Amino acid sequence: MAKVNLNVNGSPVSVTVDSLDTPLLWALRDSLGLTGTKYGCGRELCGACAVLINGQKQLSCDVDVGEVAGSEIWTIEGLAADLASPNPKFPSYAEVRKAWIDNQVPQCGFCQSGMIIAAVSLLEGGKSGSAAAAAMDHLCVCGTYPRINKALRSIA
Amino acid sequence: MTSTSERNMIGTAGSEPLLVNRRTLLGAAASALVIPFVVISNPRRARAGGATQLDAYLQIDAENRATVFVGSCEMGQGTMTGLAQIVAEELQLDWSTIRVEHGVPVSGSANAYRNPKLNMHITGGSTAIWGWYAGLRDAAAIARGKLVAAGSAATGATLTVAGNGYLTDGARTYPYSDFVADAASLPASAPTWAASRNYIGKSRQRVDIPSKTDGSAIFGMDVRVPNMLYAAIIHCPTNGGKVQSAPSSASGAVAVVNLGDSVGVVAGSTYAAMSAARSLESSGRITWKLPTDLTRVDTAAINAKALSLSKSTTAKVFKEEEVGAPDSSYAASSRRLDLTYTTPNLAHACMEVLNCTADVRADSCELWVPTQAAEWCLGTAMAITGLAADRITVNTTFLGGGFGRKIEQDYVSQAVTLSKTVGRPVKLMWSREQDFRNDRYRPASAMRVRLGADASGAIKSFIFRNVSTSINVQRGSTPGNNPEDTGAVAGAANLPYAMQTRRVEFVHNDSDLPLGYWRSVGESYNTFAVESAIDEMAKLLGKDPMAYRKQLLAGDARAVAVLDALSTLSKWNARLPSGTARGMAFLKGFFSYAAAAVELKLVSGRVSLSKVYCAVDCGVAINPDSIRAQIEGGILHGMSAALWHEVTFTKGKAAVSNFDRYKMAKMADVPVISVQIVESGAEPGGIGELGVPCVAPAIANAHAKLATRRRNLPFYPGLGLGEIEDDEGGDDD
Repeated sequence: MAKVNLNVNGSPVSVTVDSLDTPLLWALRDSLGLTGTKYGCGRELCGACAVLINGQKQLSCDVDVGEVAGSEIWTIEGLAADLASPNPKFPSYAEVRKAWIDNQVPQCGFCQSGMIIAAVSLLEGGKSGSAAAAAMDHLCVCGTYPRINKALRSIA
Repeated sequence: MTSTSERNMIGTAGSEPLLVNRRTLLGAAASALVIPFVVISNPRRARAGGATQLDAYLQIDAENRATVFVGSCEMGQGTMTGLAQIVAEELQLDWSTIRVEHGVPVSGSANAYRNPKLNMHITGGSTAIWGWYAGLRDAAAIARGKLVAAGSAATGATLTVAGNGYLTDGARTYPYSDFVADAASLPASAPTWAASRNYIGKSRQRVDIPSKTDGSAIFGMDVRVPNMLYAAIIHCPTNGGKVQSAPSSASGAVAVVNLGDSVGVVAGSTYAAMSAARSLESSGRITWKLPTDLTRVDTAAINAKALSLSKSTTAKVFKEEEVGAPDSSYAASSRRLDLTYTTPNLAHACMEVLNCTADVRADSCELWVPTQAAEWCLGTAMAITGLAADRITVNTTFLGGGFGRKIEQDYVSQAVTLSKTVGRPVKLMWSREQDFRNDRYRPASAMRVRLGADASGAIKSFIFRNVSTSINVQRGSTPGNNPEDTGAVAGAANLPYAMQTRRVEFVHNDSDLPLGYWRSVGESYNTFAVESAIDEMAKLLGKDPMAYRKQLLAGDARAVAVLDALSTLSKWNARLPSGTARGMAFLKGFFSYAAAAVELKLVSGRVSLSKVYCAVDCGVAINPDSIRAQIEGGILHGMSAALWHEVTFTKGKAAVSNFDRYKMAKMADVPVISVQIVESGAEPGGIGELGVPCVAPAIANAHAKLATRRRNLPFYPGLGLGEIEDDEGGDDD
């Protein structure tokens, strides 16, 4: 067993994992109960496990928890924690969430945490809504792409 | 701390009780970051919490908030919302505070969550709205009658429905919550459906969507219960193999359990369980008893047999439908086609892998499971635990996709056995690799179509044979004489086309790759063959495919209306740029009608869809926007399957184990999709599967105009395996 100090959703937290090469995905889900980040493929093929690390989108199934001690990690729960006063680090989340609801994007919803993380990452990186739509490369078996496209294009 | 059950209620946009709780949970204090154990709320507990259960479907709490309990599961189709709209219409509920939960099954006919038209508490066959519409309206109208009667008795006035969950005497209003306790004990009177249209027919925002934009929606995979262990699963690498011997322990595992056809590895975390399972699997310490005849789990061998059976005159034939003398009529037809089409095994590939959490104790059992068959889970748990039904609680979570896979009991049975064996709650989660290699695959089919027509195009004879492995025979039925084989000919039997004679046959191709129900089942392959053949006949006759279908469907007004709508929507008769072709297909199925057209071009010889149009008549459209969403998704699912999907086995070994070899449409592949709903006012039909079947034949029909006629799916077999077939040198006969 190993102990790692992380910074998750703006708070320092200590997690106990089996080993330092445990993927961050499982530390988030099992150790911290942050289940909004999903296991989809385990091989960086689908995007369901996307989180933001130091502001960049990364697929947490392929990030060793030992490598991100000291990094700033944000999950969907952190972005959504306080809708009344949006997280100043990721102001685009509120827009994305509204666009997702206005356009009734999710179906089963399983991939949508990852989709939203990807969208926020692209918008925060300076892309326009339509450029972000074109750059979305995650998997959605339900086929919500037309609505993701529409939702992102509704954002300036 | 707020109650865990409240957190998991599904609130609508705007009300968001769960978000209030989330703020508490994710507050500034570092310790609050750790979310406590999560339990799906269940009506047995909720009932004790101050709210009153009026009947199985409706609960009103002290603040006059309604919770609707539904018998069909939410896996993305919008079922929770659609069913709640039906209840809300009859009772004029306050939509801003409505909550929806999955009903918890009880044993036998007392289970109020059995779909009234299926008489089972399952979700499949696009039956949620079709099956529940009348029964749920009746139940909600009865509930309204009881509330009005109780309110009138209590106030001494004649109350009527005021809207938003209130009754009125004309002067003042009373919340339902004032009378719900009295109402619950009143007898039912004959229901009269409300004439209003405030919910039915309106694109209400889905009740589950807010929770699917903030990480709070609880899928099966997300369930956490106190004292829980985690499990991974190992099946034989050769499909159909059984455990010969397995060790009882492994490094990193709390327990290793021999489950007969698989081995469960239990550990302290998901990652520990998956890692221990991987090491154990590669260590060779599990020995397997392989199937004695590996040709029965070999795609090439199974498909060769299917082609042979498609031509056989001695095969045992199950006749689903026979009208007139199709053989002599075929021989006498001046225009004849004899065509064979094939479709592959498909995996369901739900985004959420199979998983189930079970807590088996000496005198109780509780499950949290993403399932399409809560009632069958109850039976599974009873059989394994030996407990009475009233000691077992089956909580249905959100499903991260289902598509027919999550009606099965394999993963449920494994989780229950594991918890029973280790004496603690266990969350079993399959790896993606196990999920792909141990699916209940769509049957692979060979379909022979003989079509005879006269010079006017009138169909003199239609002789259809589906050769596939019967799902039901694999589950114990006898081949050739059980009515459930109708699933294998759905999409070919009872066609609405005018045909003077017809025969629809099924031939069972005995094999052992485990099969199941894949979104749109029989229509997913038979519609490909039928709608391709109709186009091939149109070409032989020199007729336009749209006009030809209208000719053959002239006796079915709903079909003609859908074709007319598609014609207009797709500008069917307008010129297309050179290099682009249109193709179309039609389906009457799932108690609904659909017609789709695609605009296709070839880019470097490969299919590229620019536009897809679809007109649907699903009767009363409860939630038009949800219907459009289902059709959009169905079209993309059908497109991915037609172009890229197949799972093949070589002597039992699967070629696909993850998404790298099972290409799904991504954003860049997505055409512009236009959906039009044709309102016929008929009883509501299905929509969940309706969008899928027309896509493959529409693509093939368009492709035939630009290049070759493709009769074998997928278009690009082996994609992702590095063996990309040259399109022009493909499988055309």
